[in-house]
Amino acid sequence: MTKKWLLSVALSATLLSGSVLAADTLRIGTEGAYAPYNFVNDDGKLAGFEIDLGNALCKEVDMECEFVKNDWDSIIPNLIAGNYDIIMAGMSITDERKKTIAFSDEYKAVDPSIYAALKDTKVDFEKLDGKSIGVQGSTIQASFLEEKYGKTSTIKSYGKPDQAVADLAAGNVDIMLADGEFVRTVTDGSNGMLVVVGPEEMIGGGIGIGMRQDAEKLKDTLNAGIAAMKADGRLDEIMVKYFKDVKPYKTN
Amino acid sequence: MIELIPDWLGNWLGQDGLDTIKYLTNGKHMAWYSSVKFTLIAAVLGGVLAVFFGLMGAAMKQSKIAPLRWIGNIYTTMVRGIPDVLFLLFFPLALEQLAELVMAYMYCSPEQWSNATGWPVCREAQWLLSTNEYLLMACLSFGIVFGAFAANVIYGAMQAVPKGQLEAAEAFGFTEKQILWRFQIRQMWVYALPGLSNVWLLLLKATSLLSLLQITDIVSWADRLGAPNYLSMAGLVHPDWRWKYYLVLFIFYILLTMISERFFAFLQVRASRGMARSN
Amino acid sequence: MDWLMSTPFVQDIVILFKPALYNIYFALVSIPFGFPLAILLALGKNSRNRLIASFSKVYIYAFRGSPLFIQFFMFYSISLACNQSLWKPLGLDGLMLNPLFIGPLVLILNTSAYAAEIFYGALQTIPKGEIEASRALGMTKWQEFRTTTWPNMLRLAWPGYTNEVVFLFHATAIVYFTLPVINDQKDLLNKAGELFEKDYNLFLHFSVAALYFLVISMILFYLLNLVNKYLNRHLKVRSNLKIKPSYIR
Repeated sequence: MTKKWLLSVALSATLLSGSVLAADTLRIGTEGAYAPYNFVNDDGKLAGFEIDLGNALCKEVDMECEFVKNDWDSIIPNLIAGNYDIIMAGMSITDERKKTIAFSDEYKAVDPSIYAALKDTKVDFEKLDGKSIGVQGSTIQASFLEEKYGKTSTIKSYGKPDQAVADLAAGNVDIMLADGEFVRTVTDGSNGMLVVVGPEEMIGGGIGIGMRQDAEKLKDTLNAGIAAMKADGRLDEIMVKYFKDVKPYKTN
Repeated sequence: MIELIPDWLGNWLGQDGLDTIKYLTNGKHMAWYSSVKFTLIAAVLGGVLAVFFGLMGAAMKQSKIAPLRWIGNIYTTMVRGIPDVLFLLFFPLALEQLAELVMAYMYCSPEQWSNATGWPVCREAQWLLSTNEYLLMACLSFGIVFGAFAANVIYGAMQAVPKGQLEAAEAFGFTEKQILWRFQIRQMWVYALPGLSNVWLLLLKATSLLSLLQITDIVSWADRLGAPNYLSMAGLVHPDWRWKYYLVLFIFYILLTMISERFFAFLQVRASRGMARSN
Repeated sequence: MDWLMSTPFVQDIVILFKPALYNIYFALVSIPFGFPLAILLALGKNSRNRLIASFSKVYIYAFRGSPLFIQFFMFYSISLACNQSLWKPLGLDGLMLNPLFIGPLVLILNTSAYAAEIFYGALQTIPKGEIEASRALGMTKWQEFRTTTWPNMLRLAWPGYTNEVVFLFHATAIVYFTLPVINDQKDLLNKAGELFEKDYNLFLHFSVAALYFLVISMILFYLLNLVNKYLNRHLKVRSNLKIKPSYIR
């Protein structure tokens, strides 16, 4: 047993040199499954709004950047554990999350969450009793549904957002709740098979960069970078590429 | 990829066939195929470590020193009562914290220790985990878990070595250590092979869990490839195709099992040369 | 007592009690269906009928040769693809995609293959003399099976089957890694992971989850050992199972 521990310590020690070298690059954690925010394209590369923005922002603040793919449900624990330095994964700024991590200023304004359903389903939002609602786990939408419909409806939570979409398309859930941009991307691309239904739910704040709470200097740097990109319209340019009806940050 | 196909074959395949080949050889699919390396590295390195831990465990189980024997038995019983997936989730994180603790003692100043509010104590004691580190930790976890299984196999095989041979070695004046390493362990492999082959098959199947450690392995890529896509910017728009990709993985693992069985059968024949046969 | 109840360790034991029931449910539902299916498959593999024998062989090989993790993903996604065309018209859509149904279903398909291989191995090692003796007594095929083959097979296979049941219980840990979670139906690892995401106390939550697995495994082992003693009651030497990692699965 002692030898085993010695071995593991020795193994770790050999790896330390590598990690010290990597400290100069800013590592960005993202999910890679949340189109149009972040996704893996057919070339097998990470792409999307946050990838473009992250690269532009890094150039702005003069840092080397590297994207790291991490599943959504462990994205905050692995930030705390230090596997990457910031999160850019369509994450809403919420008070609940602020207890464990810090956020930069928003880089995308708050967007109401919306429901999607198969085109011919009739859903009465006054009476959702017994209906099943699909949602991605550990999201603001999940906690919202849990609170509002947890007692009366069946809430199915999925590890990845596209699993919820797949189950919706196959008719395994009646409706699905997710971020507006994500839902619209799905409904627009589904050739009319899936449609937006029901009310808009105003939940969460804007979307910001998540980071460890002690990273105050980094937060200031990134906030300055975001402010500069908002001011001269560069952020708007990137947004237009991925979103419809963009409310521009640049005012004049 | 598509340029490599000669004209006659292209004509025979038709446009649809060519499109399919083009799709199946795009960057995302190529990444999937190449991610097989993670599975194989984890299996082979995990297997080597499992044999190492197995030898240690078996040596402890037959040790004359009681505490060592107890440790050996506790080790094998613990692993028996707890699922491998729990170890796989626990060990990498625990080892990370251990490594960071060691680093904190090495690099952090006393002020940093007293001012520390969270973990790690200081920035220098931060160990970044990326795919390579996770892979190494996965191998280590596999080694520890399947080492317990291997320990039992090896322990049994060591008992199966004919006592007469060991007594003969003793009569020739070999020391106890020499007898263990030169006779008992060297002879043991033949008896251990069938059991080790089973441990290998268990380990091979456990490599499907690598994606739980944020390693983008074959399971993870299959999930990304099969997931429905409704954004043409991201590539081909298609509904949920995951069942097709999982079916491929299902068959892939069965083939790996078949190849492994052939290989171990071959090893058994080679290792048994010169052994007395009862049949 | 109050200070004891308020220690994080005891609190975790209380919190993880209900999730543990889900693991127990998955295992307990799978065993009574998996056992007879395994017996049928073992007899099938041993059968002289070529068709039955090769079907059983392929089935056992496929399920033993691939990871359960993949089997879960595969069966869920196949079942999902069948939802509109098959399950909905049959009115089975609520059932066929419910983790509480499809979870045990996949576990049954899986464990029956492993257990079948164990029973098949036992069938091969039944003392020839006993079968010859029953034939010499002029027993019918059914009598021969009931009095000779069956009790011998069960007795010989039981240590291996015990091992398989413990493996099956451990396998319940990955059900919710692959299937959607309905409301707050969470199993041990799921809940432990959720607790870990809140306070990052790795050692506490995972240790308590591990403790649950260890204790329930021991109980399963104890119960199956009682059956083992019953099966071997005619033998002079007491037969006792040992909890050790058996490499055969």
